[in-house]
Formats: sequence, C-alpha cells, structure tokens
Amino acid sequence: MSVIKNIGAIAKGMSITFGEMLQPTTVENYPDGPGPLKGAQFQERFRGTHVLQRDENGLEKCVACFLCAAACPSNCIYIEAAENTAEQRISGAERYAKVYNIDYNRCIFCGYCVEACPTDAITHGHGFESATFNASALVYRKEQMLSPTPAHMGSNSVFNHADVEAGAPALPQAGS
Amino acid sequence: MADLTLTVDGKKLTAPAGTLLIEACKSVGIEVPSFCYYPNLSLQGACRMCLVKIEKMPKLQTACTTVISEGMVVATDSDEVRQARKSMVELLLGNHPLDCPVCDAGGECELQDMAFSYGAAESKFMEAKNHKDEQQWSPVVYFDRPRCILCYRCVRVCGEGMDVWALGVQNRGVSSVIAPNKQDHLECEECGMCIDICPVGALTSGAYRYKTRPWEMNHIGTTCTHCADGCKTTLGVRRSDTGMEIVRGDNRDKSGINNDFLCIKGRYAFDFAHSTERLTQPLIRKDGKLSPATWEEAFALAGKNFAEIRTAHGGEAIGVVGSSRTTNEENYLLSKFARMVLGTNNVDHHRTADFPALAAALRGKSGQTASMRDVLSAPAILLIGNNPTEQHPLLAWQIRSNVRLRRAKLYVVNSQPIKLRRQAAGFAQIPAGAEAHAVAFLAGDDAALDHLVHQSATRESLLALRDKLRAETGLVVAFSSEIRGADVARLVHSKFAGAKFIALADYANSRGAADMGLYPDLLPGYEPLTTDSRFAQEWGTLPTVPGLTVPAMAAAAKAGTLKALYVVGANPVARFGLDPFAFSGSFVVVQDMFLTETALMADIVLPAANAYEKSGTFTNTCGDLQLVKKAGEVAGVKSDFEMIVRIADAMGFEVRKLVPFGGGTHADMGQSRGAQSGEADRHSVWLEAHGLEPRMSPFDPVAIFDEIQRLVPSYHVSRLDLLAGNDQHTDIGEAGPGAAHDPNLIIPANDDLFSSGTLGRYSHTLNSVMENKNAPAPSEVGAD
Ligand code: SF4
Ligand code: SF4
Ligand code: SF4
Ligand code: SF4
Ligand code: SF4
Ligand code: FES
Repeated sequence: MSVIKNIGAIAKGMSITFGEMLQPTTVENYPDGPGPLKGAQFQERFRGTHVLQRDENGLEKCVACFLCAAACPSNCIYIEAAENTAEQRISGAERYAKVYNIDYNRCIFCGYCVEACPTDAITHGHGFESATFNASALVYRKEQMLSPTPAHMGSNSVFNHADVEAGAPALPQAGS
Repeated sequence: MADLTLTVDGKKLTAPAGTLLIEACKSVGIEVPSFCYYPNLSLQGACRMCLVKIEKMPKLQTACTTVISEGMVVATDSDEVRQARKSMVELLLGNHPLDCPVCDAGGECELQDMAFSYGAAESKFMEAKNHKDEQQWSPVVYFDRPRCILCYRCVRVCGEGMDVWALGVQNRGVSSVIAPNKQDHLECEECGMCIDICPVGALTSGAYRYKTRPWEMNHIGTTCTHCADGCKTTLGVRRSDTGMEIVRGDNRDKSGINNDFLCIKGRYAFDFAHSTERLTQPLIRKDGKLSPATWEEAFALAGKNFAEIRTAHGGEAIGVVGSSRTTNEENYLLSKFARMVLGTNNVDHHRTADFPALAAALRGKSGQTASMRDVLSAPAILLIGNNPTEQHPLLAWQIRSNVRLRRAKLYVVNSQPIKLRRQAAGFAQIPAGAEAHAVAFLAGDDAALDHLVHQSATRESLLALRDKLRAETGLVVAFSSEIRGADVARLVHSKFAGAKFIALADYANSRGAADMGLYPDLLPGYEPLTTDSRFAQEWGTLPTVPGLTVPAMAAAAKAGTLKALYVVGANPVARFGLDPFAFSGSFVVVQDMFLTETALMADIVLPAANAYEKSGTFTNTCGDLQLVKKAGEVAGVKSDFEMIVRIADAMGFEVRKLVPFGGGTHADMGQSRGAQSGEADRHSVWLEAHGLEPRMSPFDPVAIFDEIQRLVPSYHVSRLDLLAGNDQHTDIGEAGPGAAHDPNLIIPANDDLFSSGTLGRYSHTLNSVMENKNAPAPSEVGAD
C-alpha cells in the first residue's frame, strides 16, 4: 500500500512542477534582456551607486561638510575640502569637495549618507553593475559620481550662459 | 575665605565666599550654560544664557556675575529657567546664518551644542537675515560677522589676556560689531587666541580654513617645537598622501603648563613640516654634487668612513654637533654615541643660555629653580633682560596672568622699554649691555650703580627697587642669556629670600641638550669627565680630555686635524657664522629636514623627522620635562634616534650596548591583559610607568629614557605623571657640578614672535605674516 501512497505523493508534487513549467516566466532575464538595463528591473527607491547632484545653475551641491562621512557606518567616504574662488567656482557655497571618494569595497548601501546630507547633494542612483576584478577600481572618485551638467548649459555652466545662448553646443560631462 | 553653604537644585554645597554661582554649580557637576563667561577673564554679563532662579529675588539672575551668599536657594532647571534659555537661544539664532555645513566651527560650536540642549526646534523669525560678507583681517584671522553672537570673549582675551587690545566693539545694542584695530585689518601678535576662544565660527583661522572637520582628525597631545617655553599643544592630524598632515594646533583641553595659551608659532607654524623643500631622500656627494642615494648606501658609507677615521686618527679627529630641537633621548644617545662609539669628547651644540653655570651655582640646593607653573603663582617676579613678549610668549602670558589674577608684583630690569613694563610694579631701564652690572648691584655691590644710572633710572630709584626686591619672599627670577658665567652665581647668591631661578634659553630643547651633556667637557647631568663617573662605569672607558667647541672644531678642520664632522639637526655654519669651506677637507654627515647652509657642504645628508614626527621628551627652559608624541608617520624621513643607531651599526658597533633594548619583562606580551573595558590600557600604562614594557626595538627611545632616569639624578621624576601628559619639573640643583665656560660661546638666537630659526624660514604662515607686516598699509576703509 505504501508504494501506491508514495507514487501518489510524487505525482502530486510533479503536477505542481509541470504546472509551473507551463506558466509564463516571471524571473528577470538579466543580463540578456532588452534595453540599457539588460532586463534588470527595480523599484524607484532602490539604493544603487551614488550620484552627486548639481543645483539648477549646474554648480555642485556638495559643500564638503563631511557629514556623510561622519554618518557612514562603514567609514568609506573620503573627502578633501577646498575654498571656492571668484575665478573658479565649483559649488554654491564657500567650500566644495576637491576630492570625494566612496569606497564600494566597503559601502553597504545603507543610505545613511543620503539621510545626513544637509544639501541633498548625495543621493542613491540606480547603478548596480560595480563588480570588478580589481578592488582599487571600486574606489569611485567624484568625477565618476557627479551628475552631468544640465543639457541647457555649457561646460562651465555658470560663466558661459551667454555662449550657450549664442548657439555654442552644450558639452556633455563625463560620468553619471 | 570662609565657606558658605547654599542649595542648588535641592543639593547642598559649600564653597568659599567670593565664588561665582556658576563656578559653585560646576563644582558639584551642575552645568549652567554660558557663552560670555570665561574663567580668568573679566565678567561681561552679555549673553544672559546663564539665567537661574534665586529664591527671594524677583527676576532671574545671571549665575556668571552673582557671587554666592549663605543660605542661597537656587534653581537651575525650573520651567521658568528652561523657557528663558530657550528664548535666549532663539534670539541668538535670529540673525545667525544656517552655515553649519560650511562653517569651520561646525561640530565643536558652543552655539550648536546649546541649540541642541536648550533651544527650540523652530524659529518665529520670518525676516530675511542681515548678511555681511566675510572679512580677512590678517593672514590668520578671518571674521564672519553674521555668525558673531557678541559674547566679547575675543575682545577680552586679546586685551586682558594678551595685552594687545587689537579688537574692539563698534556701535551699540543690536548693531554692535567686533572690529579690528586698523579699520579693515589687524595689526597684532597673530596669536589666534581670539579664534580659539570664539564659541562660534565668527573668528576662524586662515591656516585651518576649510581643511577638515573636528571629528575627521586624530588629536595628538605633544609639545611645541619652537621656543624654549614648552607649551603643550594638541595637533589635529589627518592622513594625506605623504602619510599624515597636521592641520591644526591648539590646546583646547587646557591641559599642560600653558592652559589654553599658544602663540602664533605653536598654533600655526607646524606647517614647516609640509614644506615642499623638505628632504625626503638621503643625498651623497658624488663628483662634487649631492645626488640621491638609498638609505643603505648612505649608512654604509657614513659608518665606513667614521670607523676608518677613528682607527687611523683617533676619536679626536671627529667632531659632533647636536641640536637644541632634538629630544632628550636623541641628545643623550648622541652624547653616548660620541663618547662610546666615536671615542671623542668633541661634542657641542648651539648654546643659548649658561646652564652649566646655573648647575654649578645651585649645586646641592634643590628647590631653587622655578617651573613654568611657579611663574603663574609666585607672589613676585624679577625679570632681568630678555623680551618675553617676543622671545618667550608663554612666560609673558604667565607673568601677565599672574599680575592680573593674583596681583603678583613684577619687577623689570631691561635696557629696552619692553612691553611687560606695563605690568611692572618696578621698572629700571639700564644702559644696553649693563645686565651684568645690574646683577652685581642686586647682589649688593653698590659700586656697580655707576654703570646703571641711565634715563629714568636714578640712584634712588634703583636703590628703592633693590629694597623692594629684598623685601619680597618667594621671588621668581628669570634672567636672560646676557647673564653668564660668574654673573649667574652672583645672582643666585644675592640675598633674595626663597628665590627661585629660571635661565632663559631660546630653543625648544636647549635645556635638554645641556642636561644631556652635549658639551665637550660635560657628560649628561653636568657630570665632569672623570674616570670613575657613573657613565664611565656604565659605558666603559671614556675619553677624559675635554674636547673641542664648535668654533674650535672649525679651526681644527681648517688646520686639517679634524677629519670628520657629524651634525645632527643643527646648522652651525649659519648659527656660528663659520666659514663653510673650513670643512671642505673633512668628511661631513648632516642630519636635517632641509638643505641648510651646513647641509650644503656635507658629504652625506640624511633627511630627518621633526619633533612632530617622533616620540620622546623635551625639557623646557625652566626644566619642565614633557612628552613629545608622534603625530604620524611621514614617508622618506627617519628620526635622528634611528639614524644614530644605524650609523653605529654600520660602524660595526654592537647596538645593544648603545641602546639597551630587549630588556624588561617578557612575561606579558599582551596576553594577560584584562577583558574589562580600559583594563588593557591601564595595564600597559602601568607597565610603561614602571619600566616593565619590553623594549622591542633598538629604535625605541624609551629604552634610553630608562637609562637617563637611572643615571641623571635630576630626571628622577614620576614616570606615571609624565606618561599621563603632565609636566614634571627637573631640578638642576640635583644635577652634577657643572662647569665654567667661555661666555662668548653663548649666542642668542634673536628670534622674535614671527621667526623661529631654520624652521621659521620654511613656515608658510610665519612668512605670510611677515610679508603682511612689511606690506604698505592698505587704503583706509571703514570696517563696514
Ligand atoms: S550608503 Fe551607507 S555605507 Fe554606503 S557610503 Fe552611504 S553611509 Fe556609507
Ligand atoms: S555630500 Fe552632502 S553630506 Fe557629504 S560632504 Fe557633501 S554636502 Fe556634506
Ligand atoms: S590674534 Fe591674538 S593678538 Fe591678534 S586680535 Fe586675536 S587675540 Fe588679539
Ligand atoms: S567674534 Fe566670537 S568671540 Fe568675538 S564676540 Fe563674536 S562670537 Fe564672541
Ligand atoms: S610660546 Fe613657545 S612653546 Fe609656546 S607655542 Fe609659542 S613658540 Fe611654542
Ligand atoms: S554667561 Fe552669564 S551672561 Fe553670559
């Protein structure tokens, strides 16, 4: 009797397996899917690699206050501050981050830095393909994290409004 | 004074009559918030943060200006008081910008703390804030007016504390504004005390500007490397591409002999360490040119040549010049290395005060030297020569504070109308160069009076001054380097009841260089070169014929009898005005940070670490022994200690005889340390204090410090106290017999407030302040 019982149990189990095989696929077809995301999908609030934001004038929002570094539980943010001058204005306030590194070897994507930032300069982007064979490539520099200059502005967003308005092409900035 | 009893928040407490309520509360751990109150400055009563409720008084009272009385009942935490504080913070924040993210005070700002502890979460103010641009008042002082909360601490510390009075207040009421003395800029001592004391970020420093944030630094308590006063300074250190960068110096924790005082050099002139002109690679002279080499090459060559010269010509053919800015351990080691390894007594350094004469005069009399702390508490002070305001800023601060806070009497005998005469109860302006006669007169020789009468100093006034001095008990006598040789003994033996003495030298460890025997005729502790000295017993047979002084070494080199010269951190060519070509026939090894005049003529130049990059101890001019702590590791340089040991090693000498390392207990390598929090630290401090930590390396200065403490009697001080960061007074009266030296060998450094020998030349801050002083005054503009 137990043999029949066992066969019955297997048949019941397999029926679920075969039933599922006939359903449409719900897994993401990453990395073979379509589009720039190669099939990956995630929620808006997904915390990916960071983006350093610019203000409406194209100036960097970060004022090098080190609060993100202080909040970071894995101590992976390194900043060097410097002073803006009239000739070279990088951020909207008196100081800016001359060097801003995040070490993704250590970052746990907790978002504390984003919480801490008083100027909403650092945000989580949706970048996630950070795997590499070289650990030093995981130390991202500011240039890699800065958001691009708004398209309506030139390479030097504050001072060449006039150029852009006169028809000069708005240069794209590296990184994103 | 009688003790009074009062009740604060239900707690009974007693305090001496005359105590301020705010201090009485602090003594039992009740904190009354305050901005304008600052211990040891005059009372201001400007900020109203310290309001408390005192029973039977109709209104809230300011605890910082109220003196306690018997039976007072005080509430510091009632609803009414809390509401008052909240309103005060709200008013202060009314026009305060929301600058914290870019403000250098952010993270250590008293206004932030107060807003956090006592403030309201939101503000009722809707009006636009009144903005004014930041102003730069000097290379080191920046002022951001909207951030100022008008506590007037800066005005008081500059005036009362520094006696500079460079800051003032313009206008009244809400439009009051702090203003500098020269319309739009400052002409002052640039001490940075005003910046340090500012509770907010209104006054900020040019040197630290936007470099980092307080929590991003390591804080290392060490001793200043500039003048001979030995201020304790806390360095703020950040990692950088060369290993570490010092970004700030202060003494905000008020530990040490200087409380929170530092002069411009201690506070800002650490930047010589980051000069781009620093040597970071050994140099060896090849084909007449100094070219980069490896450490191994350099040590091997130095060792080989020293050994050959010693064998061929004897130790007398080698000269050694030590430094007044290297640690005690290094100076002692150099002294030992010269005698033991090189076999020479040709050891000298740049002398800036006659310590051997003081040792001889005070021989066997302990308790007759004053510490820097004594200057702050002595009932009377006599200052002969020198201008401490420029040359000994801490001494000047101690004197001013003592006069101001304890009504000490200051007597000044000087050939110049120095600034400290403003604090003086008696001032005698004597003719230039008459200091020795002044000493003779003070010691009772009336014939010397003829040499002293000058300008306002009449016979009567001088006699009256001497009578007053004789009537003082517990006098502290600080004398300049003009008092040398026999004059020192004369001064020490003049009849001042209970007097204590300070000989004023010029460099951070001038006293240590002298104490550690960098003399051709004295061993450490001012011991003479006898065959049965403690050192001969410990070190083995030592040369007993006195060696050459620096000028004699130059002469010997010229004559061809001095075949080699070893210079550790000194610049004898510049300091003694020697002919650099005198040494062209000798083999010269120089350890220094920069290519100095002396290094330029060397055959081997070894890049040295400075006092902020190594550990050890310094002894200030009064004899106060203090720790020097390493702020961080810097690439490309080695400590002088290590280099001396390496050269000894390269000469084939057994290093263990030079540095007794490897001793101590071997039982405890950390395993037995307790599991409770802090126990491991306490354990290691205890082991260290009792000399039980194993000395693992021949480069460990503590191994030599053990020996110093064993063999130099005046250095028998509490190791535990020293390690805890306290100063320990060493008494030169307990040292050896000293000696009489040629007075011409003492050459004052003549540094002022903005110069500091070789180091000063490479300090960006000092240079920019000097340039600024020499620049023509900018056009006169109003300060707003
Ligand atoms: S996400 Fe978290 S771990 Fe990563 S940098 Fe920000 S605070 Fe640090
Ligand atoms: S990202 Fe934000 S928190 Fe971090 S330093 Fe810049 S402004 Fe400050
Ligand atoms: S730096 Fe010193 S001397 Fe100059 S204004 Fe400030 S406190 Fe006064
Ligand atoms: S500048 Fe600073 S110390 Fe001076 S009054 Fe303003 S807040 Fe006080
Ligand atoms: S007074 Fe002397 S020891 Fe003190 S900070 Fe100034 S230079 Fe350094
Ligand atoms: S601390 Fe008492 S009024 Fe300012």
